[in-house]
Amino acid sequence: MNVSQKFEVMVGNKAVAHVARLVRAKYISAFPITPQTTIVQYIADMVANGEIDAEFVNTEGELSAQASALTAEAAGVRAFTATAGPGLLYMHHPMHATSNGRIPLVMAIMHRGTKGMDPDLSDMMAQRETGWMMLECENGQEILDTGIMAYKVAEDDRVRLPCIFAGDGYILSYTDEPIDIPDQAMVDAFLPPYKSKIPLMPDQGEESRRLLMAQWGVGQDPQKRWRDQQQAMENAREVIKEVNDDFRKAFGRGYGDGLVEEYRTRGAEAVIVAAGTIASTARVAIDRLQADGKKVGLVKLKAFKPFPADDFQRIAPKVRAMGVIDRNISLGTGGWAFSEIRNAIYDVEERPRTLQFHAGLSGKEVRVQDIMKIAENTLKAASGAEASAAAEWV
Amino acid sequence: MSKPVPLVKLDEKEYIVPANQACQGCTGATVARIVSKVLGGRMVRQEVACCGPAFENMYQPNIYAEVFEGAGPLMTGLSRAFKRMNREDAIVTGLIGDGGTVDIGFQGLSGAAERNENVLWICYDNEAYMNTGGQRSSATTRYAETTTTPVGEFSRGKKERRKNVAAVVAMHRVPYMATASVAYPEDFIGKLEYAKNVKGFRFIQVSAPCPTGWRFEPQYAVKIGKEMVLSGLWPLYEVIDGEKLKITFKPKELKPVRDVLKMQGRFRHITDDEVKEIQDDVDAYWARLVEKDGKEFF
Repeated sequence: MNVSQKFEVMVGNKAVAHVARLVRAKYISAFPITPQTTIVQYIADMVANGEIDAEFVNTEGELSAQASALTAEAAGVRAFTATAGPGLLYMHHPMHATSNGRIPLVMAIMHRGTKGMDPDLSDMMAQRETGWMMLECENGQEILDTGIMAYKVAEDDRVRLPCIFAGDGYILSYTDEPIDIPDQAMVDAFLPPYKSKIPLMPDQGEESRRLLMAQWGVGQDPQKRWRDQQQAMENAREVIKEVNDDFRKAFGRGYGDGLVEEYRTRGAEAVIVAAGTIASTARVAIDRLQADGKKVGLVKLKAFKPFPADDFQRIAPKVRAMGVIDRNISLGTGGWAFSEIRNAIYDVEERPRTLQFHAGLSGKEVRVQDIMKIAENTLKAASGAEASAAAEWV
Repeated sequence: MSKPVPLVKLDEKEYIVPANQACQGCTGATVARIVSKVLGGRMVRQEVACCGPAFENMYQPNIYAEVFEGAGPLMTGLSRAFKRMNREDAIVTGLIGDGGTVDIGFQGLSGAAERNENVLWICYDNEAYMNTGGQRSSATTRYAETTTTPVGEFSRGKKERRKNVAAVVAMHRVPYMATASVAYPEDFIGKLEYAKNVKGFRFIQVSAPCPTGWRFEPQYAVKIGKEMVLSGLWPLYEVIDGEKLKITFKPKELKPVRDVLKMQGRFRHITDDEVKEIQDDVDAYWARLVEKDGKEFF
């Protein structure tokens, strides 16, 4: 394996900027919003000093950042944008058009919650039905790697859907970590040049007209686009796994199967499920508990869309309890991951107990001991002890 | 400066597919037909929600995004991508209604104008949200009755003056801003011919009388468009680089606005005093335009 490692200490937001550089984005639009702002500044610096050769457009708002990246990508250049929190909410409307147009745009989200400035997944959760793929990252390295992989997944002919790669704002935005920056040549070899499938060139009038008529539903099943896009999401599960494998071969790093990553689950009687930076904290909690002989492991959830139902169906029969930590809540329903997981494992014959925990919303600190408590409660449920059906707020 | 182009010089080739879903007498469709002929094979069209999708079944490449407010950024992305792909022969064109220009699309209009994006924004102005059944927009003339400004015991129709978006765009100092009318096609074609060879942000706001929304018989659409220009309700002018203003058609004497207002059902209710208010506005603006004609715009 020819893996060259060039570690550089940098914050997560700078890693995001490197994604835009390494994928050779030719159209980059952005509007500043905390905690995404320095991404835009790092990109501006890279454009100013010639490291990035792209149309770099400081739009007059996030809606325009999304809408202009949509058409640039449709016309035929690889595009990039990034936002957070309310900025993401403002992008919501054109995001539907991006997925509906089967435009494989990729964007970075540094989470900022919708009830205050601090991070939680509520900004991305509000985009659940936009038809975008959503990949959650744990640290700066994973942000950089996932950003590169996201383009390959999105542009795959079996998928052709837009993709978000995300990390916890502030926590990852501003934390320095040693990050391996891959060589441009290696990224070029991994990620082929982008070609649009949308006929928009001046000589493609008739082809384009037919597509427009189809878009208006002339002569086709009105539900066709929904079915096609659901199929693309289903396909994406396999494509994400393939791309993750390819990435591991090329760069010597991978993230579980690309959708979930199991950490010390062998022989576990119970698992906790966590995503993003909470998963990092959870690793420490699991290490401590296993040192005490407690049989509890961690499943890190990476893909929120498409949701890795089959992974959880595979894991479910092996454990007697799953404790799901959500840094989010759908008010009136419950946690995003919890709802999806319980739904996914309903038909598993020997299904485990499921426990629901809300932690880290609006940036509330999640400590190792908090997760140890969650894991111990989950273990108790695994041993048959009574467990509350109600969600627990940590 | 633009020069009028005789109709006979217009390309005989039709780009609009013969059947379309526009209303009878729709002059928005005429605007689209003229634009498609002048720009021909170089036209690449951005489409947003408006009447446009009803009459824009054209043999020219297009992209439709259901982003009513998005004309400015959507065209920005196209234009920047074409630049990167060395396809600047493509003329990125929007056929955008007045709502998508002066109201919901206004932020994107200003943003694209400020960045001087290389796009041609054609606003076919029928003075209301006609696609959704004739609701008022900020382009609606004062006192006009629309479905959201009905006339009743406590309402005289639309309360506010029209937003002067032509002047607002010109104030962005864009390379080209013009008003035009579907009833003066030579003037309009001349402006398109000029605009198509200019690089940067170009904006043409075209008066497009709407039989359905303005409530008149379809055969009078062009007649009303003409009377609007002759009365000064719709002055024809252009501003280059936000600096030089030129009136491109100057009637010797303006006709009173009353007659053309009274031709439209939407003004059936207005009183002499209300007509006078509109007349005073028209006179004042025309006087300013005449004063600035051939001189600095600002």
